[in-house]
Amino acid sequence: MSRLEAKKPSLCKSEPLTSERVRATLCVLKGILTSSYGPSGRLKQVHSSFGGCVCTTSQSSALLSNLPVTHPILKILTTSMQNHVSCFRDCGLFMAILCCNLIENVQRTGLTPTTVTKLNQHLLSLCTSYLKSESCGCRILVDFSSPQTLLCLVRSIITSKPACMLTREERDHLSALILRAFLLTIPENTKDRLILGNSIIVPLKGQRVLDSCVLPGILIEMSEIQLMKILPIKKSEAFKVALFCASLSGDLSDTGEGTVVVTYGVSLENAVLEQLLSLGRQLVSDHVDLVVCQKVIHPSLKQFLSMHRVIAIDRVGVALMEPLSKVTGTQPIGSISSISPSSYGSVKDLCPAKFGFKHFLHLIPYEATICSLLLCNRNDTAWDELKLTCQTALHVLQLTIKEPCVLLGGGCTETHLAAYIRHKTCNEPESILKDDGFTQTELQLSTEAFCSALESVAGSLEHDGGEILTDMKYGHFWSAHAEAPSIVNWPDLLSRCGCGLYNSQEELHWSFLKSTRHPFVPQTYLPHEATGSADNLTLDCFTAKLSGLQVAVETANLILDLSYVIEDKN
Amino acid sequence: MAAAGSAEAALQVAEALETIVSRCLGPEGRQVLCTKPTGEVLLSRDGGRLLGALHLEHPAARLVVAYVSSHLRKTGDGAKTFVVFLCHLLRGLHAMTDGEQDSLASKHMQTHRRRWKNCCRWKLISQSLLTFQTHRLDYIVDRYLSRHFGSIFSSSTKERTLCRSSLESLLAAYFGGRVGRNNCDFMSRLTCDYFFKCMACERGSEEVLDLVDDYFVELSAGVTGLPVSDSRITPGLVLPRDFSVYRPADGDIRIVIVTETVQPLFSTSGSEFILHSEAQFQTSQFWIIERTKAIMKHLQSQNIKLLLSSVKQPDSVIYYAGLAGISVVECLSPEEVSLIQRITGLSPLALPHASSQDEICNTVLVKFCKPLTFRSKRYVHLGVISTSSFIPHYVVLCGPVQGLVEQHRDALHGAFKMLRQLLKDLDLNYLIQTSDQNHTSSPLVYNESDPLPEVDNGSIQRPRQDTVLRNKSKPAKTQTYSDLVVPSVELETCIPCSAPKVTPTGTYQTDETLRCFSPTKTRINGDNEPFIESNSANSTAENTRREISYENLQITKIPGKGNLLPVREKSLEIYAPQGHCFSTIPAGCVLPVGGNFEILLHYYLLHYAKKCQQSEETTVSMIIANALLGVPKILYKSKKGNCSFPQIYVRTLHALQTHQPMVSSQTGLESVAGKYQLLTSVLQCLTKILTIDLVINIKRQPQEIYDQDSEEEV
Repeated sequence: MSRLEAKKPSLCKSEPLTSERVRATLCVLKGILTSSYGPSGRLKQVHSSFGGCVCTTSQSSALLSNLPVTHPILKILTTSMQNHVSCFRDCGLFMAILCCNLIENVQRTGLTPTTVTKLNQHLLSLCTSYLKSESCGCRILVDFSSPQTLLCLVRSIITSKPACMLTREERDHLSALILRAFLLTIPENTKDRLILGNSIIVPLKGQRVLDSCVLPGILIEMSEIQLMKILPIKKSEAFKVALFCASLSGDLSDTGEGTVVVTYGVSLENAVLEQLLSLGRQLVSDHVDLVVCQKVIHPSLKQFLSMHRVIAIDRVGVALMEPLSKVTGTQPIGSISSISPSSYGSVKDLCPAKFGFKHFLHLIPYEATICSLLLCNRNDTAWDELKLTCQTALHVLQLTIKEPCVLLGGGCTETHLAAYIRHKTCNEPESILKDDGFTQTELQLSTEAFCSALESVAGSLEHDGGEILTDMKYGHFWSAHAEAPSIVNWPDLLSRCGCGLYNSQEELHWSFLKSTRHPFVPQTYLPHEATGSADNLTLDCFTAKLSGLQVAVETANLILDLSYVIEDKN
Repeated sequence: MAAAGSAEAALQVAEALETIVSRCLGPEGRQVLCTKPTGEVLLSRDGGRLLGALHLEHPAARLVVAYVSSHLRKTGDGAKTFVVFLCHLLRGLHAMTDGEQDSLASKHMQTHRRRWKNCCRWKLISQSLLTFQTHRLDYIVDRYLSRHFGSIFSSSTKERTLCRSSLESLLAAYFGGRVGRNNCDFMSRLTCDYFFKCMACERGSEEVLDLVDDYFVELSAGVTGLPVSDSRITPGLVLPRDFSVYRPADGDIRIVIVTETVQPLFSTSGSEFILHSEAQFQTSQFWIIERTKAIMKHLQSQNIKLLLSSVKQPDSVIYYAGLAGISVVECLSPEEVSLIQRITGLSPLALPHASSQDEICNTVLVKFCKPLTFRSKRYVHLGVISTSSFIPHYVVLCGPVQGLVEQHRDALHGAFKMLRQLLKDLDLNYLIQTSDQNHTSSPLVYNESDPLPEVDNGSIQRPRQDTVLRNKSKPAKTQTYSDLVVPSVELETCIPCSAPKVTPTGTYQTDETLRCFSPTKTRINGDNEPFIESNSANSTAENTRREISYENLQITKIPGKGNLLPVREKSLEIYAPQGHCFSTIPAGCVLPVGGNFEILLHYYLLHYAKKCQQSEETTVSMIIANALLGVPKILYKSKKGNCSFPQIYVRTLHALQTHQPMVSSQTGLESVAGKYQLLTSVLQCLTKILTIDLVINIKRQPQEIYDQDSEEEV
């Protein structure tokens, strides 16, 4: 109580966005984010002078979890992005860059926050309804009969993370692996609800990326000596498994709130041990082949079990318990006496396995939705990045199962959307203007701010000083090499658009992305043959991108609407 | 620190607060970002939260914040309007008293005496304000304003049914002041949907509101990282934790609640368990396991499929429950348990009876019970069947950041609080004067020439006016009256001491007694005594609110006649035949938003002021009337042309004068009772500010104040 101090009054700042310091820090943050964006993005090394491991990354989640921000406004932006990433795992940088661009562009227009936030909301709803509509020209429905689209999606995700340091061959190998791992988690026969299993990523650092592989079932890591002890495994039709979540270490269970008085000479340890051994006898007589315990198994019990050729594995940890219970098809046992025979599970096969320098016991199930992805990479930093990438890809595949469509990547969705919005507000402004009493000029200004924010996100994909263009038919994104001659024949210089759907040999007209141009109707309704035939498209996750777009606009609106910042200085 | 002009200081503070608050007021208001020392950021437009986040130090500001929060506890809305209104009142008072101050300053007076005079004057003003609030305001509201009230109940049917469109516009206006502009429509639709989904029948609306308000935390969850538009309402209850064991079940699902561990323990608290041998230990453990098994078997035989537990159960309980096909959810909070109890009428299972083979009666059916995954977090989804008029629904609020989700959650909770208030009647009572001809008008005159006794103003003492009433003409009459104006009025028999000493009580003296008590020369001995502050804490405001209608005495002050002692002669006046009128603002009364309440009341106050003979009352009602316009002025600040404030004002006044229906440019509605309570709260706050003459700064910890009585009882 004596340490209680009086509260200091808070600091109250008005119109925070007008301050020069805030603008400068926002600009720095935007610089960090844009330079990391896309397949050719630059890597960032987050360095702490207090030590810790080196983090080299271009991924939003890794970058911002290590980057401390102090200003409340930046904090809103970064937490908003982190929340988005923890939901969707993908499109974090897209969301954050779009948000920064919007804030910057809107401030330049000089419109009141009231008007701008309302108009932004209208424009956003135009975007979402277009992206969800049948006529959308940048959305592809996923055809689950062929793996092509899903493979493209996974490859795009891996390609966009340059910090993984993968060659083309390694990328292809990994994309195939990830897709296989995902397919293994889909149950073969489902009733009403599809419950996906999960893929466990097993680290194997220091190996070649091409040594990575996928195995059905679970790999339990153990030392070579341990493994030698249980070998050879006697063969049988099916292995009976007892899975314990209760401790088998012989500790006393909760004795209640009162006191327990033990007479001299009575050893409770012996009593418990006797119970454990009788449990062992029961397990042996029930012909259990494998005992797995979440916690510790008493050495005497272990000894007893191994004498009777029962394999005992302890300390598997709580994280493995759920996959184990799925693989063996049983619930964990929570008692050390009177075990019902129905609570034993089974696996098809048990075999020792060696990958790199690590030894594993491989549990092969009859039919389960659990698989293990052995992930190899040369060093720790690159492995961490690769693991994040794999998790992202797996999560994106799950999202795609729920909402079976993908968006065109490589900046094409953004430019196409911007072209559509420009056209829409120019030709049919009544739908927005009618209810809220905005003027045509206000709408025009904020549309320009919104669309150029979208386009500059696409533009951030180009890091090598090349020209960025858009065509006037599809509204797709094109980039040209920096060393272009001054007078150019565009079709020769450009080969394919950002997503790879169209090539430059069509009769197209291009325009610089930064220049002003007349609004045009981008071609809607993707032709079916175009999506079917193309096998090397760059694709984005539909759900993540749509939500990223919404969250970016909402966050920008939130920040623009701030009138005061009250900082509690205690 | 001496706060000589506490009113001036308060004005400065209120103006500073007003500039902050006015930018967040109304549908055009903007957001404020608050950071906490823990690093969290919070978005808010809630006035109460803003004032709290500022951690104000100034004493006057602290007083205002305290009043605002007590007002918010009552009504849940109106913090920003409170500040704006208070500021305008203070400004009005300041403008009025400015002139007088100049004349005062010319006198050669000691500073402390002048200060004392100031206090005295402020106190008089505050008295008249309070009198006005308690006597006249209810009257004006009931007599004039009530004719403009609308209702959120449909008028067509006899029974009270809530009109959905009215409710929607009421909520839209509420959220317009609470959440960001873009989310306002969405939130009001969501709230409306939620309310109607939860309501089984029309008559149950109050019960629904009570329940939602009380258990709001258990009925809502926030999810970050998703756009706001992903927020949704799901039927049933959601418990924010996973199943300890889940056994899918079809058909009838019966549930039980336990509040202790199912497995018997070795020893309960206060008891001792003596172990003599290892065998004994083993048998007792065996017995415990067998018993757990037996209980689960029994539950299974009673067709129970789900066990809800408010405590953590041992592993073996979960194992045997799983074997018996019973799903288990552990660690329910006490609030969740009581919510389930209230909805279903299910009481916790008493375990000792569970083993006996008879029927378990404490069970209820649920429609479904399944896991729910939301943003890779697992929840338990229960289809609880309600026995009351509340059909349980769960609301999931989404937003990009936690700060925004919190804001929406608060706003939603506040909306239900506001609705709960709205559906209650608000009592009004006032006096109707039938003849007030003999009313002596006495303006606020200060007896400047009156020599005051030298008061030793010690730092912890403050001057205090004790009114001593001396009845000359009828000394034998005992008189009881309720104290109204002065915090503590002491009746004291003076020199020709014949009347017994009477202490102020709140007892009501019937009219008859008082009427025979004709207006006579009653002397009031205004004396100032050094008075130690200790017992002055009794709230003036509270006293008066309770005793509004009993007040039969009007004390007016006329200049003293220069006695030796500073005795001022007063004429005690009793209003001739008076009737007490009890009226109400009925439940569900609404007015269109956009300053309608303020402009209407402004108009009627001016109207009243014109009729009023007492200049004191005139002034007070003018001040209040003008201050009322502060809120609409801010609301229409950004509007131009036809919608600017002067235009609206002139149009409305014209409509009122010619008895035409008022036209409102906005569609929203707001609660009349809420507004009215706000007005009275502000006036009470103001009177308190004006009566304070000295702020004593202490540098020590706030001490716990123990209630003497309760301690003795213990």
